[in-house]
Amino acid sequence: MTNEHMNEWALHAYADGELSAEQRAEVEALMARDPEAARKVADWKRQRELLKAAFGGVLDEPVPQQLAAALRERTAPSRLSPWLAMVAAMLLLLFGGLGGWFLKGETAPTAVADLGQQALEAHSVFAVEVRHPVEVPGTEKAHLQAWLSKRVGTAFTVPDLSVQGYALLGGRLLSGDEGPAAMLMYEDKSGQRLSVLLTSPGSDIETALKVQESGKLIACTWQDGLLAVAVAGEMGRDPMLVLAKAVYEKLEG
Amino acid sequence: MDFRRQLSAELPVLRRFARALTGDPALADDLVQDCLERAMLKTHLYDPSRPLRAWLFTMLRNLHISGMRRSSRATVVKTVDDLIDGEGSVPPEQENRLAAGSVSEALNRLSSQHREVIVLVGLEEMSYRDVSEILGVPVGTIMSRLSRAREQMRQLLEDRGHTGLRRVK
Repeated sequence: MTNEHMNEWALHAYADGELSAEQRAEVEALMARDPEAARKVADWKRQRELLKAAFGGVLDEPVPQQLAAALRERTAPSRLSPWLAMVAAMLLLLFGGLGGWFLKGETAPTAVADLGQQALEAHSVFAVEVRHPVEVPGTEKAHLQAWLSKRVGTAFTVPDLSVQGYALLGGRLLSGDEGPAAMLMYEDKSGQRLSVLLTSPGSDIETALKVQESGKLIACTWQDGLLAVAVAGEMGRDPMLVLAKAVYEKLEG
Repeated sequence: MDFRRQLSAELPVLRRFARALTGDPALADDLVQDCLERAMLKTHLYDPSRPLRAWLFTMLRNLHISGMRRSSRATVVKTVDDLIDGEGSVPPEQENRLAAGSVSEALNRLSSQHREVIVLVGLEEMSYRDVSEILGVPVGTIMSRLSRAREQMRQLLEDRGHTGLRRVK
């Protein structure tokens, strides 16, 4: 059975030009012995020809106006940035009282929702650590950035939040639901801590920002491209939004 | 080369991919437009060591999936009666075009997992490695899906042979 599978796969790989010259010769020998194998390969080639005949016409069609126009525009004004979408949603929230979270366009993947929860939990565990809040101190920022980027699988820049009054304490690696997650910890002059969780869920999408609250803790979550981000801390909504925006801009930047 | 010019060069193939994936010309071009806009916003995320086409296909396919989830607007599946009626009216000299038409009908009948694999490998001639990256599954999975998809295509085309192709001969 296994052998049959291997043979079948070899035939596909042969038909799709995935084999080396040597492997091709082996498959050709097999096809010479086995007419059924030869028939399969011929059949797949015919399928390819039919597919190309069915859709080849598209290649010669003139490019529709809308697509040519899409290529000319440098920016796509139709799409709100996650940040603007969040500001809009905040206004709605202030005046309309929508529940806890808001979405635009794309559905918020559960991965992002879970990341917010993880960020809240991680923050409550590590933010209270006086002596060991981090594994690698903020003084080794370059090392921290290289190490965590590598483990998360997507390169990112450790955001500088000094303008917002937060100094980098350092970071650590956590095991998140979606694989490794980088946790960065910041602290302001009063000892108030802020954590930023970064992970690479394996999708390339853009989501709206989401706010989650749990007791006194609050987390802001979004995904932009390959990186899913959560910012968590113990503070009110307004200061958190300012910090989340700063993190978003630094990562985007 | 200017990124937009590169995008422009990929446009015909991107449209063909979208057309084969959705089976719906209008929906396909909407997806291509979303994909182009996304590509221009996300230029900084493109890794130039990987083929641009595979990057674009990945985005377009993800947009397609999230679009289907959002609107649950699945591809139109025609009834067997439609297929047979449609063919009966086609004159015999157009037999080749008919075969091409029936292959896209057969494609529409595959599950979306099988359809995307056969479109990427069998039509767009992407390498297994690229397909594995585009779909985010291992090469082994690609190969078993491909194997099943091709067998289903064969059966569908054979059935069509009995109902349609032979009749017009």
